Amino acid sequence: MATILFYILGFTALAATLLCITRRNPVHAIIYLVNALFALALLFYLLGAPLVAAWEVIIYAGAIMVLFLFIIMMLELAPDQEIKGPGWLRWGPVLLLSLVLLACTVLLMVADPGSSQEVPAYYASPRTFGYALFKQYALAVEIVSFQLLFAAVGAYYVGRPEQRKKPKGGTP
Amino acid sequence: MIVPLTHVLAFSGALFFLGLACVLARRNLIMILIGVEIMINGAGLALAGGSAFWQNIDGQILVILLMALTSAEVSISLAMVVYLQRRRGTLEANAYNEMHG
Amino acid sequence: MNPNLLFLILLLPLCGALINGLFGLRLPRALRGAVAVGAVAASFASVCLLWPLAAGEGTRTILGTWLASGNLRADFGLLFDPLSAAMALMVTGVSTLIHLYAVGYMHKEADTARFFALLNLFVFAMLCIVLADNLLLLFLGWEGVGFCSYGLIGFWYAKVENAAAGRKAFLVTRVGDVFFAIALLWLFAALGQLGIPEINALAPQLSPTAVTAIALLLLAGACGKSAQLPLMTWLPDAMAGPTPVSALIHAATMVTAGVYLLCRLFPLVSLSPTAMTAIALVGAVTALYAASCALAQREIKRVLAYSTMSQIGYMFIGVGAGTVSGAMFHLTTHAFFKALLFMGAGCVIHLCHEENDIYRMGGVARRSPLVFALFLAGALCLAGLPFSGGFFSKDGILLAAYAQGDGWFRLIWLLGLASALLTSLYSFRLLLLVFAGEPREKVHKHHLPGLMRWTLPPLALLGLFGGLFNLPPAYGGGERLHHWLGSLAGSLPVVDHAREFQLAALAGGLFLLGAVIAWWRYRRFPGEQPSALKNFLLHGWQADAVVEWSLLKPFRAIGRFFWEGLDRTLIEGVLHTLAGGAMREGETLRRWTNGRLSTYLSGFAWGLLALLLWFLLVLAKSAGPPHT
Repeated sequence: MATILFYILGFTALAATLLCITRRNPVHAIIYLVNALFALALLFYLLGAPLVAAWEVIIYAGAIMVLFLFIIMMLELAPDQEIKGPGWLRWGPVLLLSLVLLACTVLLMVADPGSSQEVPAYYASPRTFGYALFKQYALAVEIVSFQLLFAAVGAYYVGRPEQRKKPKGGTP
Repeated sequence: MIVPLTHVLAFSGALFFLGLACVLARRNLIMILIGVEIMINGAGLALAGGSAFWQNIDGQILVILLMALTSAEVSISLAMVVYLQRRRGTLEANAYNEMHG
Repeated sequence: MNPNLLFLILLLPLCGALINGLFGLRLPRALRGAVAVGAVAASFASVCLLWPLAAGEGTRTILGTWLASGNLRADFGLLFDPLSAAMALMVTGVSTLIHLYAVGYMHKEADTARFFALLNLFVFAMLCIVLADNLLLLFLGWEGVGFCSYGLIGFWYAKVENAAAGRKAFLVTRVGDVFFAIALLWLFAALGQLGIPEINALAPQLSPTAVTAIALLLLAGACGKSAQLPLMTWLPDAMAGPTPVSALIHAATMVTAGVYLLCRLFPLVSLSPTAMTAIALVGAVTALYAASCALAQREIKRVLAYSTMSQIGYMFIGVGAGTVSGAMFHLTTHAFFKALLFMGAGCVIHLCHEENDIYRMGGVARRSPLVFALFLAGALCLAGLPFSGGFFSKDGILLAAYAQGDGWFRLIWLLGLASALLTSLYSFRLLLLVFAGEPREKVHKHHLPGLMRWTLPPLALLGLFGGLFNLPPAYGGGERLHHWLGSLAGSLPVVDHAREFQLAALAGGLFLLGAVIAWWRYRRFPGEQPSALKNFLLHGWQADAVVEWSLLKPFRAIGRFFWEGLDRTLIEGVLHTLAGGAMREGETLRRWTNGRLSTYLSGFAWGLLALLLWFLLVLAKSAGPPHT
């Protein structure tokens, strides 16, 4: 059961991502990406990481993608801000490259004899997760919090209003 | 015991390279950033799969840290996108080529 | 008498050249000429005073060592023996008179410092040739006269033709010099000696082929300097120089250097009958060629130039026939009357308002009887007036050729006779066209400087009475020159006196025949009647054209091939292709740094691909070949 679900979710994620990257309108792309992120979150749950799954939805789809949407809408990008170029001339080589890269990666993966083993079932409860996070990785947590502070300060600075006639607001 | 590790990693790789394709092929700065997000997510999937494979929680912790860092990065990069749009008026990546040789 | 005083003969003209060359522009005009004349006159006086040193074996002195390296030893040494003394006396004497003449001739010229410096330098170089005791010093003088000739022919270099004539003279004589140099090196390689007496003594040790080859090489070198076939194209053009230059260099001295060289090395050259015949044959053919060309020339100095070429051919016949004294005798008398003729021609040109073309002259006799008389004296000597100096000397050579018997020398003798007839013919033609009749162009009153007039009579006397130097026994003379030269004189022809008188009468008859024909044809100016034959002779049997087509055009074509074909197309083409290719590749690569984000991101992706392929390769290698 979980196997079938896994594959369905996996292909959903891939399809959604594929649609995302080919949209002209950035808003549409974001929505498709949110879709993919939901599928990804369920995949995380299947792989035994419920907390990660939750956070994927809350933080990633819920905060980061919303931020993207805010900025896109604020900038009032017209859909034709894209270059109208011949589609396959640009996409062709890129997709080819990606396929080749994927093939190489897969080859590398199958070359390892131990990789054909199945992923055993796993479940990491929030308690275990919490323990691990704040005991072993406490330093990492502190550093990441610094990082968030820097990011906030930096984002404010970069986006501060111009000292000119019409200060457009622009801080998240 | 659901799928071979290879399959997980294959999905993760496919996601990653789709993100790479988006980064390479799109000219809009925002779409490039979205591509980066996709790539990060692909990496996260690989991490989670590895964590389950080796019955270790470290992979998942890494995913969390990755998410946190991603949010920091996104906020700054979007602030810069706003700034660039204000200054230059365009978000096409090829318009910013003053470092040409 | 200190033998070292001999060096004064050489060094006095050199000092004159240095003074005029270095300080000439600061000296007053009169002083420049005085220095030049004084130097050469003092040199002449030295030769006269030191004459006794030359008797018998001569004197040999060394000023200092020039080159001494291994086997090679060449010194600044002089050999003052009868041959060189006689030649030096003639050279310095005629040079003094010509220098005096030049002072008068160049009285309107501004750049006399350069002129007199070169003239003195020339005399120094010529004396080097005459007095050198080793071939290397002789070669130094040889090249020196070539250079001075170049400088003096192209003296008025502002006109391109003059400079071109100087260059032509230099280059053509250079060809001869190469052969001379080869002979010199060969002699050194074979005998280990460069001293002239030593070479002459050791000559019998060489193999006959070597002797013939060396003698022929020396002949080639002599042909260059003496303007014989085939290196004679420079002499007519060399008349572009001032008349004193023509008189000195191209009548009396430089062109005789070839003959002198052969006389100097006569013991070596005479060992090879082939070479002797070749020398005489070259001389005979040149004599006929030049005499025929002189018949058609229009410029007065060109007639005299071809005449010089012809007379030197006679000297070559003399050397080839074995009589050095005969050749030297003719050399001396020729120097006298040819210098006289050239200087007289200079006077005539001056009188005719710088006109060169004899078709436009005429009646000069009436304008200046003195010049006419002097020129007449010279022309009669040239044509071979019986009992003049020119008669005895030319006759002596023809006698020697006759005495050599049948075969080639009979042919040579006949060619000599034909040339004698033509010589008489063109001499009288010249006289009649220039001096006789009425003036054909407007007459301007021109004053002839005294120096130009009064330096000529001594030469006229010497030319007319020069026969006394070497009067053959048949006429009761003592053959002074022959006895003076002693062992260097070569053999004298053994012909009985009756034969000798018959041949002399033949020569006299040819003289008269030429005079009569010329009188009949040129008594009244026949007008210009161009014909193909005249054109052919006028251009020296088209010798210049032959050289142009056979040598110069291929040379230029080769040069152009190497320049355009190889240098430009190949070498530069390769360079341009390489450089251009590098630049184009650089341009292509430059497009990668276009500052665009997408380009750099693609770079990342391609790098990633390379890495992955690398890993695959490593994996394949480690897992591959030993297939399990």
